[in-house]
Amino acid sequence: MQTQAKEIKEGALEKGLNRFLGDEGCLVFGFEGGPVGVRHRIFKGAIDGHVLFNPYFDVNGALYLRRLFSKGAKIILMLRPCEIRSYVELVKLTQVEPEGIIAVSVDCPGTVSSKEKVADLPADGPGLAAYFKAEDKMRPACRTCRERRGVVGDAGVRIAADGSLWACSYTEKGDAFLGLIEGDPAAVPGMLLGESGAPKGPFHTDMAAFAKDFAPCIMCKNCRDVCPVCYCIDCLFNGDEYLPKGDALLNKVLRTGQGAMPQGREVFHLVRMFHVSQSCVGCGACEEACPQSIPLAAYFKGISERLQEMFGYMSGRNADEAIPYLTFQEDELHDAED
Amino acid sequence: MGEQTEGRPQIVGFACSFCTFKASEMAGSLRMKYPDGVRIVQVPCSSRVDPAFVIKSIFDGADAVFVAGCHPGDCHFIKGNYFTRRKMAALKEMLDAFSMKEKLRLFWVSAAEARRFVQKVTALYDGIKEAAHADAGKRN
Repeated sequence: MQTQAKEIKEGALEKGLNRFLGDEGCLVFGFEGGPVGVRHRIFKGAIDGHVLFNPYFDVNGALYLRRLFSKGAKIILMLRPCEIRSYVELVKLTQVEPEGIIAVSVDCPGTVSSKEKVADLPADGPGLAAYFKAEDKMRPACRTCRERRGVVGDAGVRIAADGSLWACSYTEKGDAFLGLIEGDPAAVPGMLLGESGAPKGPFHTDMAAFAKDFAPCIMCKNCRDVCPVCYCIDCLFNGDEYLPKGDALLNKVLRTGQGAMPQGREVFHLVRMFHVSQSCVGCGACEEACPQSIPLAAYFKGISERLQEMFGYMSGRNADEAIPYLTFQEDELHDAED
Repeated sequence: MGEQTEGRPQIVGFACSFCTFKASEMAGSLRMKYPDGVRIVQVPCSSRVDPAFVIKSIFDGADAVFVAGCHPGDCHFIKGNYFTRRKMAALKEMLDAFSMKEKLRLFWVSAAEARRFVQKVTALYDGIKEAAHADAGKRN
């Protein structure tokens, strides 16, 4: 399908979204600017205080969309590309009913951790892009981001090279979003954000390095709870089987002599790493939530990129691509057979 | 990781009840010998094996883990082992990233291939034993 685009003139987006919100049962999920920083907000009725760009990363917004099965409500998501990619993965995993949802990915020049309070952070897209030219000002996860451009989901809001904003449509639902914005379709201009570079070689480490990095882990499982694509209601690690407690723990220590506490750090993180490997978008929400500042994003992102590369897959890139573990080819992967 | 039982590797195997487990039973009834450090867990299909089982086995002290099922195309549930192959290939890639690829094997053994089963597990057992021996040699 041909990408359609319209320039977003001053105030045209607000006007369009307000018109959309005028109808019953319509919501916009985006960011709200305020004195305490920029946070997620679901707008109803009017989009007062809406901002397009959020330079602070706290949680991945797709986390709030899990188990959203209502077909009645119409929702426009105005989120970062990583959040839209997680949403696309959740749709593939049948955790979200996409019927009434228009997913709009907004160009993301980069973010800082929400724990940091940077005084001179600009609020507009081009300003942020200029600020994040120096990549070391970003969070580590954003530095290695694979898709900063708003090219995922149904539609995108892009920053053109001249600093103007453009709405682009990629699907029929995206056309509906484009219809909300006043103006005439025009040819897509050159964009400010380019394609992200390829990852720097396959991730490789060993258990000694892992043990060192994960030594401070207190097994609070925050990383699991904030992960947008770690969606199982009945997690393996909720019961006693994988993380024994009480009598089960006593028996295990008596049997194996493994007494290092807390138990099961390796199992917990490696199993989670595998389980989210094909859907991980590398947003770094896990690292953001970690009270012990473990470099989780580097591990999860490295492993997931490596495992997705095997199948030529990229999480959330395309809603029509099947998740590799849920499909197969009859003649493949003979190297893995012994 | 548990201290290795002196010279006797512990191997956990997940075997499909329709083929590899049958092959192991047949190996028993034919009085073929395979190493006693091999513990077999019967699963209804090799695709029942969540990589979590493998990772848990490794960190609870197994020196190696194998997952074995029917040959591709012969799955009792039509296509289960194709999914197994994808999952285990990816898991091997992940273990490779952590420099412990040698801890996981994936092989196909039909119910009639008792000899092949014995060969496969014996080769795995001997390989692990040799590697452990070489490691111990390096340390001394």
